[in-house]
Amino acid sequence: MFEGIITSVSGLFEKLDKLSFNRSVKGNVNYVRASKENYLKIAAFLKENGFKRFLTVGVVDWLEKGSFEVYFIVHNMNNIYVKVSTEIPREKPEIPSLSDLWPNAAMHERESWELFGIKFSGNPMLKPLFLEDWNGPPPFKKDFNWREYVKQTFKLPQAGGDKQ
Amino acid sequence: MIREALKSLKSGFQLLKSKPITYNFPPETPLAKEFRGRHIFDPTKCRSCGLCAKICPNKAIEMVEEGGTPSSSQVKVRHPQIDYAKCCFCGLCADICPTGALRMTNFPMLVAMDKSQLLFPPEKLAQPPELKMPEKPKIKNLTSWARSRSLWVINFFTGCCFIEAIPWVSSGFDMERFGLLVADSPRHADIFIIAGYVTWKTLKRIIRIYEQTPPPKFVVALGNCPATGGTYWDSYNTVKKIDDYIPVDIWIAGCPPRPEPIGLAVVEAMNAIQSGYTGKKEEVKTSEKLRVPATKEKLEENEFLLPFGPQHPASGNFQLKLKIDGENIVEAEPQVGYLHRGFEKLMEYRTWMQNVMLVERICVLDGGSYEVGYSVAVEKLAGLEPPERAQHLRVIQAELSRIQSHLLNLGLIGGATGFHTIQRITWGDREKILYLLERLTGGRIYHIYSIPGGVRRDLKEEFKKEAVKVLAYMRKRLKTYDELFIENPVFRKRTLDIGKLKAETALENDVTGPNLRASGIKFDVRKSTPYLAYDQLDFEIPTFKEGDAYHRTLVRRMEIEESLNIIEQALKKIPSGAFKVRFAPFATVPEGEAMSFIESARGELCFHMVSSGTNMPYRVKVRGPTFDTILVMLPKILKGAKIADVPVIYWSLDNCPADHDR
Ligand code: SF4
Ligand code: SF4
Ligand code: SF4
Repeated sequence: MFEGIITSVSGLFEKLDKLSFNRSVKGNVNYVRASKENYLKIAAFLKENGFKRFLTVGVVDWLEKGSFEVYFIVHNMNNIYVKVSTEIPREKPEIPSLSDLWPNAAMHERESWELFGIKFSGNPMLKPLFLEDWNGPPPFKKDFNWREYVKQTFKLPQAGGDKQ
Repeated sequence: MIREALKSLKSGFQLLKSKPITYNFPPETPLAKEFRGRHIFDPTKCRSCGLCAKICPNKAIEMVEEGGTPSSSQVKVRHPQIDYAKCCFCGLCADICPTGALRMTNFPMLVAMDKSQLLFPPEKLAQPPELKMPEKPKIKNLTSWARSRSLWVINFFTGCCFIEAIPWVSSGFDMERFGLLVADSPRHADIFIIAGYVTWKTLKRIIRIYEQTPPPKFVVALGNCPATGGTYWDSYNTVKKIDDYIPVDIWIAGCPPRPEPIGLAVVEAMNAIQSGYTGKKEEVKTSEKLRVPATKEKLEENEFLLPFGPQHPASGNFQLKLKIDGENIVEAEPQVGYLHRGFEKLMEYRTWMQNVMLVERICVLDGGSYEVGYSVAVEKLAGLEPPERAQHLRVIQAELSRIQSHLLNLGLIGGATGFHTIQRITWGDREKILYLLERLTGGRIYHIYSIPGGVRRDLKEEFKKEAVKVLAYMRKRLKTYDELFIENPVFRKRTLDIGKLKAETALENDVTGPNLRASGIKFDVRKSTPYLAYDQLDFEIPTFKEGDAYHRTLVRRMEIEESLNIIEQALKKIPSGAFKVRFAPFATVPEGEAMSFIESARGELCFHMVSSGTNMPYRVKVRGPTFDTILVMLPKILKGAKIADVPVIYWSLDNCPADHDR
């Protein structure tokens, strides 16, 4: 049911062919992978071409590969969703902010900054969102094991919460 | 104008004449038999396989040999011991038990003044549950008698268990008949309800409120989370034992406990107080680290800083820092994180099946949608095709969940505009919807019904009859709401043109759901990307262009009607056949990524899921509908508004703090 619309979006992406990226389509969702250099260009391109709604910013921590996959999801009210992702190294992760393109991106980036420690350069809002006085590592990184942490920090209560 | 006002009055009088909807207490009629309450264990059937302990997401089951000591490897006969201070009543253990030795009953009354009584060794589990109402003690002296009859409860929405304290405010359970009143100021309160999980950020506020309450004071802890960490036992950001910090007088097990056990706890507390109990004498354990940090703000000379929440009758566990100049708001800054449990990562530690139990706890006000969204995404990843029957049943679940959420919101906006009558009425009617949900799914708030592959149990013919009755009742009641509330000139005056939101601004800031539709944009995922069986059902999308608090409320009022229609059609059209395809409890899911988009009661809900080919998700990202609406949009709408309009605007946007904090 989405074929028609999807071809029109393919046409859209053909305009982008000078940039290197890779795209796959499942249902009405386009999964686009790009290099860090093209990430911002594709974002600007999508914004210009009617992708008004900015859903979220997300991060996947690929510990074994040593990289973070940073992505955002946008929607064009014509029923096409696009997820654009790029990989950046886990050491000193930094990526340009999208807050100039979509006003609500700053808040989502603030969350990812807090939970994964990724710096979004150009985002004026990078300060703690959920946590108060937290001085551990960014909590959502894969190498921070919550079960170990919880076991060490709280002597986990047992039966009836009282017996140890 | 006067005629309209008279109309409201008239329908108010009619309400007075009609049959009251308050339930008796202690409950006379049995609860729905589908409800998941305490277990019952049959030792003769148990094969000591230990599967129940293995599947339990909360580690509430321990295999013990007779006599209750932890087993060693030589012992052959091992039976489950369940800790109700940890159990979340998901029923996964009963589902997996190969012999039917462990089953769930519908008994919810698990209340104890000593937490260790909530530990049920196998022998205790084998006894059938029985309700013993506490005996009335002799009146010791007049002071304690009077005290027990006028307990004031502090109003603080700590965690998700609070949802089941809410019915006590409604006409259904009616707390006033016990002499209980909601107090908004700690200095006038006697009872502090710790309703569910406590994060580090909330703990500091709780300690402050506790210290501000004058003795004698009584603390009631609801649910498994404050007792042992419960459902979030491995979260880095929640407190595992609240009694390490604050002395607790009474524990209520459940997740969330039903309103009935809360009532039982109140009766027990009243009895204890009447016989002279004045609360535990322990001191609060606090330290510099647990003090609420002082705020440092730069203010102009004529400006003033006003915190709205987290302990405020209309805020939920959420704060708005309001910079005000006289009556006007100069700047509003949301302070969030009071309910942050770290769901996305908690899900990485649980199997695909166990996560069903977790995922709906993201948003306590509309759990059903989250369950559906999660299951749809997992099915895409695993390549499962759920049967049509399951899709229809899920539609019924999701729509019932939407109705109860909208009813809750009508009550909240009623409260925010001073219409406490409508609050009592809609929340009372919400019980009827919850009753249907409980009959369909086994849970009132958290259903644990939609699982990857379908639904957990089939629909009974009985349910259809019940549903038809409730649908007819609700349709009639909607008319009453209109006359009493929606068309009431006072309410219109209070909400029309308040909190205006333009379509373009709403889109730019990614506001979705009823809030967007009230601003003139007809966007509903059920129509734009139909999922479940929505493409086979006929329904309208109420849309208005005004974009103010009134029309946002109106959209929700209309959507209730549409949802009733959808349920009616789904019940008629539901095909026969299987209600699930098999998805094993420890099944692995192929590598890859998938997304699902769902129209929840508050707007578009999106799950992005990555699997690395194991039996647990590698990464889950939840994009809830309130994150942008509240964190980004609300401050912009509030700029320049009047203080008195803050609760109206806030609830007209229908927040769920648990959703944006996750
Ligand atoms: S109902 Fe759920 S939480 Fe409770 S013991 Fe069974 S599996 Fe564990
Ligand atoms: S109760 Fe059932 S699942 Fe648990 S050990 Fe016995 S037979 Fe196995
Ligand atoms: S997870 Fe269950 S016990 Fe914990 S706060 Fe929520 S409803 Fe209460």
